[in-house]
Parts: sequence; structure tokens; C-alpha cells
Amino acid sequence: MSIAAVKPDQGTRVLSYAGALLETMDAALADHANVFIMGQGVDDFKGIFGSTTGLAGKYGAQRVFDVPLMEEGMTGVAIGASLVGDYPITTHIRADFSFLAMNQIINLAAKYRYMFGGLMRCPMLIRIVVGRSWGQGAQHSQSPQATFAHYPGLTVVMPSSSQAILDMYPAIINRHPGPVISIEHRLLYNLDFTVSPSEHRVPLTSYVARKGSDVTVVATSVMVLEALRAAQYVEDKAGISAEVIDLNSISHPDWDLVAASVRKTGRLVVADTSWLEYGVAAEVCRQLVMRDPGLLRQPPTMLGMAPAPCPTAKSLEDIYYPSQHETVDAILTQVKGDKHGIALPVERSMTEGYKRFRGPF
Amino acid sequence: MKDEAIYRRLFRTALLIRLVEERIIELYPSDKIQSPVHLSIGQEAVAVGVCDGLKPDDLVFATYRSHGFYVAKGGSLDAMFAELYGRKGGVSGGKAGSMHLAAPEVGLMGSSAVVASTIPHAVGAALSFKRRGASQIAVAVFGDGATEEGVYHESLNFAALMNVPVLFLCEDNGLAVHSHRPVRQSYRLAEHAASFGIASRRLEEGWDMLAIRQATLEAAAKVRAGEPFVLEIVTSRYKEHVGVGEDFHFNYRTADGVDAWKRRDPLIVDQKLVEALRPDIEREIEAAVAFAEASPAPGRAELLTDVI
Repeated sequence: MSIAAVKPDQGTRVLSYAGALLETMDAALADHANVFIMGQGVDDFKGIFGSTTGLAGKYGAQRVFDVPLMEEGMTGVAIGASLVGDYPITTHIRADFSFLAMNQIINLAAKYRYMFGGLMRCPMLIRIVVGRSWGQGAQHSQSPQATFAHYPGLTVVMPSSSQAILDMYPAIINRHPGPVISIEHRLLYNLDFTVSPSEHRVPLTSYVARKGSDVTVVATSVMVLEALRAAQYVEDKAGISAEVIDLNSISHPDWDLVAASVRKTGRLVVADTSWLEYGVAAEVCRQLVMRDPGLLRQPPTMLGMAPAPCPTAKSLEDIYYPSQHETVDAILTQVKGDKHGIALPVERSMTEGYKRFRGPF
Repeated sequence: MKDEAIYRRLFRTALLIRLVEERIIELYPSDKIQSPVHLSIGQEAVAVGVCDGLKPDDLVFATYRSHGFYVAKGGSLDAMFAELYGRKGGVSGGKAGSMHLAAPEVGLMGSSAVVASTIPHAVGAALSFKRRGASQIAVAVFGDGATEEGVYHESLNFAALMNVPVLFLCEDNGLAVHSHRPVRQSYRLAEHAASFGIASRRLEEGWDMLAIRQATLEAAAKVRAGEPFVLEIVTSRYKEHVGVGEDFHFNYRTADGVDAWKRRDPLIVDQKLVEALRPDIEREIEAAVAFAEASPAPGRAELLTDVI
């Protein structure tokens, strides 16, 4: 699948999500002597799904190195290095493993600038990867954006395309003043995107990924792609104009942008990669209601994981996550009501749509 | 005599710490200090001996019981009292309080109220020193209870694997809040460190500032050569875990152990030197208290600064 993230122009090329990560990691090491990358397997032959492959050989073991199984310790080591002026990049091949580092992330990194009245800063980038499909199950599938964004002091982003990585990572690494958690999505890694050279085209906040006028779809991470595919489908089949907003920064979204879109359309779908309860979906509603309870013409539709731990069986997993079928149905129902009568795509398993994605990861 | 001059220097700093904390005890009932305080009275010799054995640009990563290390490393007394008072003139503008003292300008790189949480920070700083070929070392200060936390083990393992210049400094007062070692530890610290290939030393004479200084000099020399080291110093916490009182009446420990320690405590035994130094130190402390009293309280303008 190739998804055009930007209008083609001079200098456009095709680049996978993993390729974009590798380019930004390579550039960070080349451009900043104080940058180093550490994490389980960053220097092995798989290189965090291709995002660090070859960098240890190119920059040496002082810059790119494997660590023991020590998520809390590694994050603490990163904080200490950051406090004395280095810029660490750490990785967790599944977001679930970052929970072992919660103490350092939440009690220490998130607090160090404020708690010491500005005396201390620990800028660093924590890359965590959300798993989905091929039986990731309960402990390889969690998407903790709401958890991290809840704590002041953390900046949380969810790049949904190669372009977002190419634009955001250079603006984060060695430039953003505090700790940043980037929640990458495993399903995106092998996808090809069209990218173009840009001057920070994707900001460290929300942006309109597709303009529209009938309904607003606020989405995160891989659900931005699902929303874009669904928006194309409803335009083709029903002439519906859906506006897709990539929330992109979960900790610092552009709520004015979201509110302006909903003011225009009066209809809202939120498509998130995690649970709805106390999550992104809930926060979108809070922000809109606090601004103007009359912004919506009708109740919104919320798409997220079912309120249970993630099951492993494919038959259960397929109904655990919202499928393209449901995303399209949500948009159609918002605009035309639940008796819209328009044929839905037969795609009920999202992984069917991502043919290039195969196990074991 | 050189040793005598060093002793006097160490003694003065230790007495400064004790008199600072005794002033805190006097002030505490007034509620001017509205923050939990974990007093280091009884443990001053460790902070003083260790910091004197370090070079000025060596970095210390500390705990919630760090008034002693803050003063011994050379932090400003005015800024400390203003911090305890929660005032704008405080070292962190009142956002830190007693448990989070820091003085990066003199190498105190923060203190945390979550036990063991700054241990890996020292390892990380040491990793950076090694990467850039600096001659500095990093010191992780923690209590004996902290060695039970998983991150202590992770930190030793990583430090040994990477051969980074970090000194693990255990202040062993035998207590984790109110729990004694036998219910907490099934290992011996030295043997545990040895299993990582890390050399260690246990110093029983934790009242002896010169011995602590000498042990630190020797340990720091090894660390500076690129070998992590565990230095365990036995000490005694005279006061309750948190707060300004004593806690013998709760019967979880007896006064006997502390009394035995006090009989060796130079700040108690050497009253002649105490009295010689006291007036000057008290003037210093009163000036710091006056600074704190005069410093304005932070407000709306400060509430949301330095968040990100």
C-alpha cells in the first residue's frame, strides 16, 4: 500500500516508516555529537524493525549500544546522561515494556525541570512501539498515549507517517527542552509513504491531514491512515467530505484547530488506538464541551479498542479493534444516519488491508 | 599539622549541618517550614567526609535526606532556608522543598523522594563522563534500604558492564523507615557487589570524618581509573524517619544503639571545638533564616513555569 501523505511536488520520494526512522536516527547521530541510542537490540541484525540497522557499525558502540534487560535502569541512566548534557534516545520494542520504566519516566523525568524550579532539565527521546495483529495479545498491544499525556512534564507524540517522523524528530532531538515519548506503531513500520523535503511541515501539534466539510474525524497514529482511507471511500461512494485531523501530539494538541473543524462540520468521529475510557476520545469531548457545548449537532462516534485486555485469537482480535468497515460506517452514520444504506467495504480485518505485514512481529 | 587543619575543616562543615538542622527543629513548630523534613542528624560525618574526598566537579546524586550533602557540597545556605520556607529566593523557587534540594553549580544534581531512583542517574552521568573522556566521577548516594530495590541491581550490573566511573555510596543506618535489616535483606552488600565484579568496602566507623574522607579518596581514585566501587558506611539516624522529633517511645528501636553512637560523635564529644565554632556558624544560619523570612512567596506567575 502506498499512501500519499502530501501532494506530489519537486523532490518527492517513497519512504517507509522504518526508513524514515532510520534516516532521522542516522541524521541525529551525524548532526549531534551528544546523541546516543540505547535499547534492547538496537545494534542487532533486526535493529528495532530496521529503524537502527547498521548505525552501531557506522557510529560505534559508544553511540549505539545494546543494554541488559533493565527498563527502569536504562531510563534512569538516560536521565543522568541528559542531566550532564548528552541527548539519549532509548527504545522499547513494545510499549508495554515501557511500563517497567514508569517510575523513572513519571516520577523523575517528567518532574525534573519543574520540581527543581528550572535548575534541571532532562531532554531525551523515548521511542516505544505499539504492537497490533498476529496475536500480539494482552501484553504486546497496549497504546499508552493517554497514560503518559496525563502527567504534566511529558511531551507525547504519535507519528502517523514517514513525513511526520522526518519533520518532527529533528525538531525534538536536541531541540525540545524536555523528555519526549514518541509512540510509534508497528503496523506502520513497513508501509511506504510519499514524502517530500520540508521545513517542519508536520508540527509538534495537531494538523489537518485532509480537508473536508461534512464531518470531522480526529484520529491518532495508524487510525489516521484508517481515517484517510475511510474518507476516500465515503467520498467515492457517497460524495461525503470528511475532514481528518491527525491529533499527532497527544500532550499538546491544537484544540483550537479541532474545535474550529467541529464548529464547521457539527459532526465528530474520534478514532484512537487505545481504550476510550479516560483516554483521547474522552479528552476530545472534554475540550469541545468546555469550549462550547453546542458545537456538536448530534452525539459523536468513538472508535477504539474494546474495553477488555487484547485477546490473541485472530477471530477475537478482528472484532476487538475497529475495522475499516466500522470506521466507514461511523462516518456514514454521522452524516447520513444509521439507515444510510451505503455498502460498506468488506474489509473487516484491518490486517487484511496491510498485506505487507507478516509475523512474527 | 595538616591532618588537624583538615579535621577542623570537616568538623566545621559537620557542625554547620547539625546546627542548621537544629535550627530547623526550632523553627518547625512555627509551621514556617511546611514540608516533610528528613533530618540527617547523626549522619553528618558521611556527607562531610565523602564530599571532602571528592573533587569539586565530581557530581553527587542524592536522596530526600540530603540537607547534609547539600551543605557539604557547598550549596548556598540562604537559598536552602528560603527553599524550606517555600519562598521565591529558594534554590528552586519553593517548588522543591526539603526533599528535592539541588545545587548543580556545586555538583549536587538533585535529590529524589522515591527511594533508589537517583542511583541510575549517577550511572548515566558516569557513562557520559566516560564517553567524553572527562576525569569527573559520579556518586550515587542511597540508604541501605535502597539496595533492596530492583534498580540498584540494574545499576550495578550496567555500571560493571560499561566500566563507568561511578561510586555507589551506601549510608547504612540499618533502618528503612521503621524496618530493620533482618526482615529486609537476605544478602550481604559486599558479596552482592562482588558478584558483579565490583569491589567494595564497608567502613564501620561512620562517625570518623577523617576515616570517611580517606576511604572516599581511595575509592574515588579507583573509580576515576574506570572501575565502579561500592562504599558502605555505617551510620546512625538519631531522629525519627521524617519529622523533627525522636521516636524511641514507639519501641521499634531502643535509644541504646544511638547512645553508643553519640558517645563517639565528635560533634558531641568535642564540645570545646563546638563552642569555638558555634558563634560564627550561628550568625551564618541566622542570616540565612532572615533571608528566607524576607523572601516573597511564589504565586500565580510561577505556578506554571518550567513544566515542559
